[in-house]
Amino acid sequence: MLADEVCDCHVLVIGSGGAGVRAAIEASQFGKTVLISKTIVGKGGCTTMAEGGYNAVLRELDSCGGHYEDTLKGGAYLNDPELVDILTKEAPLRMGDLVKWGAVFDFTDADEVAQRPFGGQRFPRTCYAGDRTGHEMMMTLVDRLAATDVETLQEYTVIDLLKDGDAVIGAMALDEKGRLVLLKADSTILATGGGTKVYDISTNSSSGTGDGYAMGYRAGAELIDMEMVQFHPTGAIQPYDARGRLVTEAVRGEGGVLKNVNGERFMKTYDPARMELSTRDVVARAIATEILKGRGTPNGGVYLDVTHLPREQIESRLPVMLEQFKKFGVDIRTTPMEVAPTAHHIMGGLRITSECRTTLPGLFACGEVSGSVHGANRLGGNALAETQVFGKRAGESAGKAAPRKKIVDQQQVDAQQDRLNRFLAGTINPSQVRKKLQLAMWEGAGIFRNAGDLEKTLALVKQLAPSRIRAASPRNLAECCILENMCLTASLICRAALLRTESRGAHVRTDIVQTHDAEHSPFGHTFLSRAREGIEIREGKQ
Amino acid sequence: MKELTVRIRRFDPDKDTGPHVESYTVKVNDGARVLHVLHAIHDTLDPTLSYRYSCASGQCGSCAVRVNGEPVLACMEEAKDRITIEPLNLAVKKDLVTDLIPRLDQIASLLPKKDVVLPKKADIDAIKPLKDCIECLSCVSVCPAVDVTKFIGPTAMRQEMRLVLDPRDSGDRIPDAIRDGLFFCTTCQACWKVCPKSIEIPGKAIEKLRAHANKRGLSLPRHMEVAALVQETGRSIPRTSESFLEKVPGVIEPDGPVKATVGFFVGCMYNLRQQQSALDAMEVLRRNGIRVIIPKEQVCCGSPLIRTGNLAYIDELKRRNIETFKSRGIDTVLTMCAGCGTTLKKDYQTPFAVIDINELLTRYGIEPPARLPIKATYHDPCHLMRGQDIRDQPRALIRQVVDLVEMPSICCGSGGGVRAGNPDEAAALGKRRGEEIKKTGADIVITSCPFCEFHIAGHTDKPVKNIATVLLEGYREKDRKKAAGSKR
Repeated sequence: MLADEVCDCHVLVIGSGGAGVRAAIEASQFGKTVLISKTIVGKGGCTTMAEGGYNAVLRELDSCGGHYEDTLKGGAYLNDPELVDILTKEAPLRMGDLVKWGAVFDFTDADEVAQRPFGGQRFPRTCYAGDRTGHEMMMTLVDRLAATDVETLQEYTVIDLLKDGDAVIGAMALDEKGRLVLLKADSTILATGGGTKVYDISTNSSSGTGDGYAMGYRAGAELIDMEMVQFHPTGAIQPYDARGRLVTEAVRGEGGVLKNVNGERFMKTYDPARMELSTRDVVARAIATEILKGRGTPNGGVYLDVTHLPREQIESRLPVMLEQFKKFGVDIRTTPMEVAPTAHHIMGGLRITSECRTTLPGLFACGEVSGSVHGANRLGGNALAETQVFGKRAGESAGKAAPRKKIVDQQQVDAQQDRLNRFLAGTINPSQVRKKLQLAMWEGAGIFRNAGDLEKTLALVKQLAPSRIRAASPRNLAECCILENMCLTASLICRAALLRTESRGAHVRTDIVQTHDAEHSPFGHTFLSRAREGIEIREGKQ
Repeated sequence: MKELTVRIRRFDPDKDTGPHVESYTVKVNDGARVLHVLHAIHDTLDPTLSYRYSCASGQCGSCAVRVNGEPVLACMEEAKDRITIEPLNLAVKKDLVTDLIPRLDQIASLLPKKDVVLPKKADIDAIKPLKDCIECLSCVSVCPAVDVTKFIGPTAMRQEMRLVLDPRDSGDRIPDAIRDGLFFCTTCQACWKVCPKSIEIPGKAIEKLRAHANKRGLSLPRHMEVAALVQETGRSIPRTSESFLEKVPGVIEPDGPVKATVGFFVGCMYNLRQQQSALDAMEVLRRNGIRVIIPKEQVCCGSPLIRTGNLAYIDELKRRNIETFKSRGIDTVLTMCAGCGTTLKKDYQTPFAVIDINELLTRYGIEPPARLPIKATYHDPCHLMRGQDIRDQPRALIRQVVDLVEMPSICCGSGGGVRAGNPDEAAALGKRRGEEIKKTGADIVITSCPFCEFHIAGHTDKPVKNIATVLLEGYREKDRKKAAGSKR
């Protein structure tokens, strides 16, 4: 069967979160740009559900140097300093774009963009729109996108990249009815977001299934630091079926305190200087430890308490939290929330240059799917900034790239069709496989890790991956492709976690005794590709 | 874990000629949302069930469906046993998945001015309440005007108002809003009652846009005529015969002991067009111990002007009405017009309490009327049910006198200046109301709003009666039986 060719464009952007839409807006200045999304643009992805804020240096008293140092320190010095430098210098510019385009961020009485404190930062530099900051950004970006001539393909699922030799020349996708389509492009941008849906407990939207990591890896790109998974300290635990739902760091930024079942502010034993506003890796481990030591609530969490704050402050600064908890029967103005860590963000991803080039010609990456901006732990507020800074960069570099001759290899298309036919002839319910995967990852590759559990988890993931999963109808084919991506992403996390024989940032190996601190670690990035895998050794640090 | 059985409307355009309902029983955890029930069905019973979701935390607006007819976010609404889950009232792509994109594309975008202008905090504070929208389109799903006109829907008007308030925007939004149906909204309030973010679109966007239109001379001519009439006569309806206020005394004493004393705010329609309903109400009040004071200087409440954006004379009307009742020392003002009641309760700041006649009669209780041997249906006036949350009280009264058969609560089409300004639309909505009435098989239609009474009467062959009139008929029947009994 010959697949339909939907388009031949200059730039193909895969993913419609903050990074993807920003990239498409930028790329559209250089040639025909197509934005393809497995959801409705503006609704899918994790940007729209990002609550807390966007870090940008906007005040005289703050400095990009300070933001740079905070980000490196927070990232346990695993970040690529050049990318961090770019992030901190360009975040204010991209903030300016958003405000110019109509974003409604909260303002101070002096008519300036308001900022609040977030964990691990020396200055309150997190800009916000209540606790619906990401949603405000997406609405603004979608507005702007509408003013460009970007063509959007919505509710199309990209299932693999198209290659011509080493180069990426577009992608293959399924429409909502499960029909295979081809998209050829001079430049292809992966902006597919993260993948913590591979865990049983996750904050991610339905799109957080690691598709970009998996497709990039299959196409031959190199990924780095895939073991670096951020567990957000505060996820909701009730009701059970909605567990993992994000409780924004802004709750602590506004003054919320953490208490164990005995009413103790336990952060004083883990980080007495920064307390609740320590970095996320530290707070998440503190909460997990309290729960493991039996000092958790009967429901298996700890208390996050804002009842001492003025009601007006809760209502105006945390309206989404107030409304969500109210829906679930808790008035956070009078009753403490119960929270526990939840898988939130993957710091690792495709290796990129400052121009967002991956290791493959023709393939660019930006946003969560790329690696090395955040190192071993991301600061709250840096992800939204990253989407804009590197979204613009990816769009510009991809746009400026020369047109490329694109010859579609029929064998690739046939192989894809065979894959789809296999799913249609499959026998196993993919939902069962997905649940097994998610539980195994939570158990064996969570906050505290050791070689034995990681190997066991990796073995199980490898066993699940080739399951003869079944697509009950052509519309279910995308679900099967996505499950394969989840399995591959999970295996990348486990492999990288085994490669990093140290504890660093969010990655904790309980089976390793170590004497160095993060700043003096002998290790650099872990790297994984179809051609090679390993961990970089930093010169002069051994 | 608990077991739930739900019904879901399924439709596959590639296979089915029309939608059908299927029943599923699944196990979910305590506190599970509707979305988790859909997941459970998809994961364990039928992987071909199509539904849309993304954030699962009430922030993206992907998963709105109707549960027992009412739009909700599937991810936030707690699942209950025996619920029926249907797609929104939009074009259905498959099962619970509707075609949101054409509607989303109609929502206007901000067009930045050439020279960068930055907003002030005051601008931000004004815009923010209109920015909570997650574009789930629940409002479009329930909007009666969308179905029968080219109105592009409540949230698109919300966005137009948001843009009007933004100094960064270069667009001319008022003509756009008018082109897209600004004057088609009946202010029925259905949109914001189902809005998961409770954005009060009629009051905070539609009426505000209409006020901007008015300032630019873009009000509908008919609306400006009404405004001129109010300014000239104090009434929104021309005087064609003796008014209610001219017919009645200044105080109506009850037959028996006084249970309560109220001041009566009659409103233009009951004063000049539907007088008999108001006179009947006075009889019912007299019979039930309510002492009624009727100040004659009262004027139009201003509702027809506020709904249509003609605000020039509003403050004067408010001042006169408040002064009239205040000067009599009245602490409770009674309304029987749903529109006046909502206006006095929501648009005024009154030094007295305002109570609707249905609230009053159920609060103090009524003498039981005789039962009439007829079947009636009840039309919920928008400004009573949604404007004042009065839904149960009229039903409690009606059930004492006749058998009640329910019908869906939909707008009759007369509100928001639509009957005056867009009669074709009002007629189209009235026709739909008439069809629903027919389906009930009822002998009469009861309602509690003069606009609804008047408008529905033109779209059904059944008698349309005010609730007070029906109660009074019950009392007359009771008296007749009593008289017949004593004669015998």
